[in-house]
Amino acid sequence: MEVIMMLTYDQPGVMQRVMAEFTRKKINVDTIVVGPCEMSEKSRIVISVRDRETALGVIEHLRALQEVIEADIVDHRRHEAYAIMLSRDGVCRVTGTVEEVESLIKKSQPEKYIEVVNAI
Amino acid sequence: MKGARAVVELLEKQNVEVLFGIPGGVLLPLYDSLVDSDMRHILPRHEQCGAHMADGYARVSKRPGVCIATSGPGATNLVTGVATAFMDSSPLVALTGQVATGVLGNDAFQEADSFSLMMPITKHNFRVTDPKTLPEAMKRAFLIATTGRYGPVHVDLPIDILQAEIADTDMNKEVRVPKPRRNLAGLLDSIKLLEQAERPTILVGGGVSWSRAGPEITRLAELLTAPIVTTLMAKGSVPENHPLVLGVCGMHGRQVANYALNNCDVLLAIGTRFSDRVTGRLSEFGAQTKVVHVDIDSSEIGKNVKGRVGLIGDAWTVVNALIAGLQQRKKRATWKSRILELNKECSCDFNLESNPIKPQKVIHELSKLLPDDAIVTTEVGQNQMWASHFFKCYGKRMFITSGGLGTMGFGFPAALGAKIARPESVVADIAGDGSLQMVSQEFATAMENDIPVMICLLNNGWLGMVKQWQKLFYDSRYNATNLGGSPDFVKLAEAYGAQAIRVDKHSEVTDAIRSGIKSDVPILLDFTIDPEEDVLPMTPPGKSASDWIKGRCQWKGGGE
Repeated sequence: MEVIMMLTYDQPGVMQRVMAEFTRKKINVDTIVVGPCEMSEKSRIVISVRDRETALGVIEHLRALQEVIEADIVDHRRHEAYAIMLSRDGVCRVTGTVEEVESLIKKSQPEKYIEVVNAI
Repeated sequence: MKGARAVVELLEKQNVEVLFGIPGGVLLPLYDSLVDSDMRHILPRHEQCGAHMADGYARVSKRPGVCIATSGPGATNLVTGVATAFMDSSPLVALTGQVATGVLGNDAFQEADSFSLMMPITKHNFRVTDPKTLPEAMKRAFLIATTGRYGPVHVDLPIDILQAEIADTDMNKEVRVPKPRRNLAGLLDSIKLLEQAERPTILVGGGVSWSRAGPEITRLAELLTAPIVTTLMAKGSVPENHPLVLGVCGMHGRQVANYALNNCDVLLAIGTRFSDRVTGRLSEFGAQTKVVHVDIDSSEIGKNVKGRVGLIGDAWTVVNALIAGLQQRKKRATWKSRILELNKECSCDFNLESNPIKPQKVIHELSKLLPDDAIVTTEVGQNQMWASHFFKCYGKRMFITSGGLGTMGFGFPAALGAKIARPESVVADIAGDGSLQMVSQEFATAMENDIPVMICLLNNGWLGMVKQWQKLFYDSRYNATNLGGSPDFVKLAEAYGAQAIRVDKHSEVTDAIRSGIKSDVPILLDFTIDPEEDVLPMTPPGKSASDWIKGRCQWKGGGE
């Protein structure tokens, strides 16, 4: 899995323009996390795709967009993850490295869960 | 100041001289403000042609062309023209009207989501929903269109924004757009590759036309003793009467150009995106070749051809850096003499004295008779490929064509735009009968605005290129390619008040072209050409250059 992180302007149409690049390149996006960030009128978009080649094939196109201020492929070593799980014991929140969080999800086999990787 | 007045002032501040537009309900405030402006307004008879005219204007003047269309159908009609400009990286500013912001999204009369429609076919686009951002959007549109890799920019203007009050402080706000990053880290590696090359070749693309780096590239070619081959889009950017310039390569290109492209050991590709029409089957393209790829757009490096040295920057700058950095100047006498000899062998027998007229004859005579500063535009199909193969572009001649999108009907309106940008030059549109019928209403625009262009119609009564493919690859099972029911084009032109000459015999070709060049009104030369003539040689789609179809081409295939 590769994670692409973008800093963009926070206005209508930005997601459409960004996602159009993935559509054009026939890339099926695995996860999207998007929201306003610490800078005013700016957003961060975090997108994960299957492999490195896919990420490299789209990154320069993302950088070329006027509304994208910066776009980078996130360094693997910095991966941090966060998950919310619903299991028999109720709702449980986990944070840690990707390996830690993923092994915990595997172990507890929750009914439902959301995993967020490197959203910050 | 009202929004409409602000738009007009912002256009004037960008030194816009001419607008190509069709008004409509939501554009009434803008057109009212245009009454008081000195900017020339051309009324095309279809929005698509308005965009093509602005495109033709931009390609000649190297400045953004401006086209205007109303909301809904106006905007959807504009789409083809904007997409054409996008594929050929032409700077265009397209303004569309839009229904009022209050009803936007409510399926109002003549509402279309033109913001979303234009998004994938523009470099960037704006939908102005706040009067405060109107001046910024307009200024940025022009900056974006002409910064880095050129491209069309669309601004969607709702009618209530055109009627709203714009503050002076917003009008005076300065706007900047980021310059594309230059990356010449690979420069030393590139120079080393070029210096060590035994058989270097330079492939020149449309980027070179836009950056006007032709003279520098010819100089670099002389230093390297490397032949220059061009793509369709770059035709005219380097002089084709120079001994090292081999002409257009690719599917219907000159065989010597394809030979140089496929047999070089180092390829310096400048401002080109390795289109499938140039490379043939990508996996076989230059399997043994080391590629140095120069482009202003970083996303082009490695997009189609992998394993290369990339130099990101403007063609002119990078080529000058390469010239400055070259230390050793190998003579490469064998490569040079081989190329020059092959180039001599690759002279075509197109000067055919036969009836019905061979289209190659028409192009050959045009090439001989047109002045050295003539502008040639083409439609799309066989006419385009004959023109690119047989017309020689040198001096101040220009060759304008829809290369990327391949829009039939591009040539005639683009010729009108080109003539407006350079009124002193002869402008000739090499047309086919299929293409011309898509835009023939523009005779009215040419007459009304007194734009004397020459249309050389290669009339074979077929959608020739599709017919050729049906003949070659589908066992001559012709379907939907015969153009029965075509009008008498001479009468059609005359109905608009234009001049027209029908040419049926090869002996009449030169005289007709001479009177076309002299004409000071729009003139149509209707050449009845041989309907069985194909564009050959050609490399079949998805095949490599060795699988070429020869036809009457005399080239020996570069064999030993």
